[in-house]
Amino acid sequence: MKKVSLFGLGAGLLAALTLTAEPASAQQSTLDIVKSRGHLRCQLGTPAPGWYMLSDSGQWSGFDYENCRAVSAAIFGDPDKIEVQSVTSAVRFTAMANGESDMLSRTTTWTLFRDTQLGLDFTTVDFYDGQGFMVLKDAGVNSALELKGATVCVATGTTTELNLADYSRTNGLDIKPVVFEDSNVRDNTFFTGGCDAITNDKSSLASTRAKAPDTTIFKILPETISKEPLGPVVRQNDSQWKDLVMWSLFAMIAAEEYGVSSANIDKVIAETTNPEIKRMFGVEGDLNKGLGVDPKWAYNIIKMVGNYGENYEEFMGEKTVMNIPRDGSPNALWTKGGLLYSPPFR
Amino acid sequence: MAETTQDDVVFRPKPSLPPPPNTVGVVGWLRKNLFGGPFDSLLTIVGVSLIAYVAYSLYQYGIANAVWEADTYRECLDVTKGNGACWAGVSTWMNGYMYGRYPDVEQWRVNLAGVVLAVWLAPFWFPKIKAKILVGMSAVLTFPFLAAHLFLGGEAGLFLQVMVAVAMTLFATVWLNVGASYLGYPSLRVALLRLSGFENKGDHLHKYVLLGAFGVGFVIAFAYQSTWELAAVPTQNWGGLFLTLVISGIGISSALPSGIILALGRRSKMPVIRVFCTAFIELFRSVPLITILFMAVTMMPLFLPVEINPDKLVLVIVAVCIFAAAYMAEIVRGGLQAINKGQYEAAQAMGLNYWKMMTLIIMPQALKVMIPNIVGNFIGLLKDTTLVSIIGLYDILLMAKASGQDGKWLGMHTEPFLFTAAVFFVVCFCMSKYSQHLERTIGGGYGRR
Repeated sequence: MKKVSLFGLGAGLLAALTLTAEPASAQQSTLDIVKSRGHLRCQLGTPAPGWYMLSDSGQWSGFDYENCRAVSAAIFGDPDKIEVQSVTSAVRFTAMANGESDMLSRTTTWTLFRDTQLGLDFTTVDFYDGQGFMVLKDAGVNSALELKGATVCVATGTTTELNLADYSRTNGLDIKPVVFEDSNVRDNTFFTGGCDAITNDKSSLASTRAKAPDTTIFKILPETISKEPLGPVVRQNDSQWKDLVMWSLFAMIAAEEYGVSSANIDKVIAETTNPEIKRMFGVEGDLNKGLGVDPKWAYNIIKMVGNYGENYEEFMGEKTVMNIPRDGSPNALWTKGGLLYSPPFR
Repeated sequence: MAETTQDDVVFRPKPSLPPPPNTVGVVGWLRKNLFGGPFDSLLTIVGVSLIAYVAYSLYQYGIANAVWEADTYRECLDVTKGNGACWAGVSTWMNGYMYGRYPDVEQWRVNLAGVVLAVWLAPFWFPKIKAKILVGMSAVLTFPFLAAHLFLGGEAGLFLQVMVAVAMTLFATVWLNVGASYLGYPSLRVALLRLSGFENKGDHLHKYVLLGAFGVGFVIAFAYQSTWELAAVPTQNWGGLFLTLVISGIGISSALPSGIILALGRRSKMPVIRVFCTAFIELFRSVPLITILFMAVTMMPLFLPVEINPDKLVLVIVAVCIFAAAYMAEIVRGGLQAINKGQYEAAQAMGLNYWKMMTLIIMPQALKVMIPNIVGNFIGLLKDTTLVSIIGLYDILLMAKASGQDGKWLGMHTEPFLFTAAVFFVVCFCMSKYSQHLERTIGGGYGRR
């Protein structure tokens, strides 16, 4: 009897807590919370080259971090009102669910399961990644289909490993996977000739290559054996917030399409006759109303953070350690044969 | 008139022969200890060559082929071709390893707190000073507030301000006491009374004089600390060795008192207390630390209203304290059980009540027996705190990992780990050595044999 009542008490307490918690979160949108708090809580992963890097002076930077800066610029007119939450991938979704993070921008693949079952909403795709292979140039391999009977270094317990097995079976390649827990050990094994090839998402292959004593001796094979669309994620059922995050990204993509960059934006706005550009940057119309931000939101993003192309160049481009070519890849603009496409600003 | 002739037989011992040359000196020592037989010789040769190989490789990697100055890891690789360490990266990141993302211009606050703690505790090792309890208790109970204010900065609440002022007053008290002792007064209390002229003016006034003196000190300290203007540094920016020491320091200093209370509770005759303590200990001891951390940091906010956003670091520290207390409780219980039943009975026969028996008779003996275990546990706890890197606190280990992902230093992963290992070794080795010293000085009959 005593046990039952104790259990009942506990359950009642829990229910009460959940009930009191629920309406509060339903009433207050994330945007209101962020505005009243005065800064954005942006979830990144633990440092990864190109995507989110911590410098020795303690500053964050990176391709995914720019998304958070864009949202911060849209809300506050200041790209640096951000509290970075850098957590391991094991807790990334719980940190979203429990309200700790406002948005997540960290190489997270958009899948049906994640979108529907974890209480999350994927906004849009800002980078189309996919699994590929890297080999030594000297090996004379030009296609993944030539990797018959090859040993391939792969991280264990990942979808990467499963994709490799699927690809090997589908194409009858009889690939022998060599699995590793630690990515550094995996990379070193490959460098010292422990495997014929290494497989990972292509962007990660680029950073693996950048670690090698000699970077010029490797070749990334053309095949892409999986789809890894990456983009920012928000909590489910908060359309206004999702819209803001998504359109902040679209603003950067559209700006590149219209040739507007952080360097020339003032000049373009002064001289343009293009009504879409005028609408987008708040010269005409009131597109900002639905988003709940300042009319100059898109202007602030482009002026302070830059357009998509600038960010790509800065963190993924040929002058960086990542050195991922953009032309001809899905990450080019739709006007150049890629997949990046922003809906109209109207 | 010495008439010694050749006929006299006088016993004169011959001078003893020197020991055989192969049993003395270096050669003898070597023969005895390293080459005592074929098996010993084999072991020696294998061991020495192993040590030589490791030492040589380390020398080659860490010193001979190492690069000390470079701007990127690529520059290092161009020189070493991967065969040597790149200490340039470690030294560039040194600030990060030590303080995490704590702003450069504010780091003096961390250093200051460290120095204050060291100075505060220094009288512990002065042979002349009597009031060791005052030193220890004042530091443990009030230093955390002073440190918290220094580390966090920003607007402090009234309570924190009061505690900071109390801490400063106690710090002054400790050192004035030291001064008084070395000036020849039996204690600060006597010194104060004598200097103020109240020594012979009725005992009932003494209390008020001392309280007044403390009050004056407090008011001065309070006024002084209210002039501080410290920039706020949120806990998200804490990191590196500093964060590791904050977490493990609080964990360690809270573990012993709470462990003792739990252990006594578990042996208590009162069923509610006993059941509660047993359940607490067993629950937290049978769960890995990482699980407790996950529960505290990611699960608990799920049950809290949205408006309540507890600080992650606070949650982690609470979790570590609970975990450490549960383990310490069992160590203390082991110590209590090692004390002969006769000691308990003798204490009771003297008419001591429970608390007097525990504090005067049992605990002093039990704690001596437990020193090696306690310190072992502390060392374990210090190393366990690296788990907080998994939930995204930038302790020294995660900073080490982060440095190898920095665009400029991409690929540098061995060097930071070697450095981190060295730091942990130094800290843990010092703790271990200090525990051996403690055992020798206070261990008495229970010390190392």
